[in-house]
Amino acid sequence: MEDDTKLIEAAKSGDKKAFGRLVKKYEQLVYSFSFKICRDKQKADEVLQETFINAYRGLKSFSGNSKFSTWLYRIVTNNCLMMHRKKSHEPVVSLEETDLFKGTEELQVAHWGETPHDAVLNKELKEVLDAAIQKLPLEYRIVFVMRDVEGLSTEEVGKSLKLSVPAVKSRLHRARLFLRNELNEYFTK
Amino acid sequence: MKLVDHKKYLLEICEKVDQDLTSPTCKKLREHLSQCPDCAAYYDSLKKTIVLYRDYDVEMKGSRVKEILAQLDLDEPLRITLPKKRSR
Ligand SMILES: [Zn+2]
Repeated sequence: MEDDTKLIEAAKSGDKKAFGRLVKKYEQLVYSFSFKICRDKQKADEVLQETFINAYRGLKSFSGNSKFSTWLYRIVTNNCLMMHRKKSHEPVVSLEETDLFKGTEELQVAHWGETPHDAVLNKELKEVLDAAIQKLPLEYRIVFVMRDVEGLSTEEVGKSLKLSVPAVKSRLHRARLFLRNELNEYFTK
Repeated sequence: MKLVDHKKYLLEICEKVDQDLTSPTCKKLREHLSQCPDCAAYYDSLKKTIVLYRDYDVEMKGSRVKEILAQLDLDEPLRITLPKKRSR
């Protein structure tokens, strides 16, 4: 593994080859994270390219206080938010108002049984997962993906999104419950 | 047990679904889960929700390094010298 700090220093002084090596090292991570937020491969590809171009131009502002990957995540989320505002209308669900425990009266039927494991997620299930998370307002989606899918700490997510820890937690819990309720229909039908 | 009592647990389940329930602070919840099939099912479904999203990953078709570096080259100021007009 090459040392990020050296590559970043070199790239800061205009060494594009060094920057190319950083791209190579992080592009899959950025692509995958972008996809998990926008749920569209073409958009993820656009976001990926935008992200690295922005990263190169803004490299001087990278202080090294956070991990380089966390810094990239922040650029991705900004790009996704910008793209989202430009192209589409906000989702109709307002999570602040919905009762997330709605439907829990039917708890006794909520046994999901066996869910498929890793590599074998089928096309239908992938569509269900995409559809469910796309209903989630972007600010919640980002928190869920960063924390639960990518495994960043609550503090890191807060720092990245300029949110307090309680705000991250509140969004995270709402996102979890929302997604669980959406998938519940699929697994109990 | 009334549903309202479960609600309290449901909230806690949601908060702690990513944690290790063996810690002492989770004792009450752990006990409840072992006695209440409904809350246990809820816990299970919440956990599976996270696992499913974690398992759903995508691979890039090919590297984008070339395209990105080409874009960056466009940032460089153009240094094309135009031929001087000949004066007669
Ligand atoms: Zn219960």
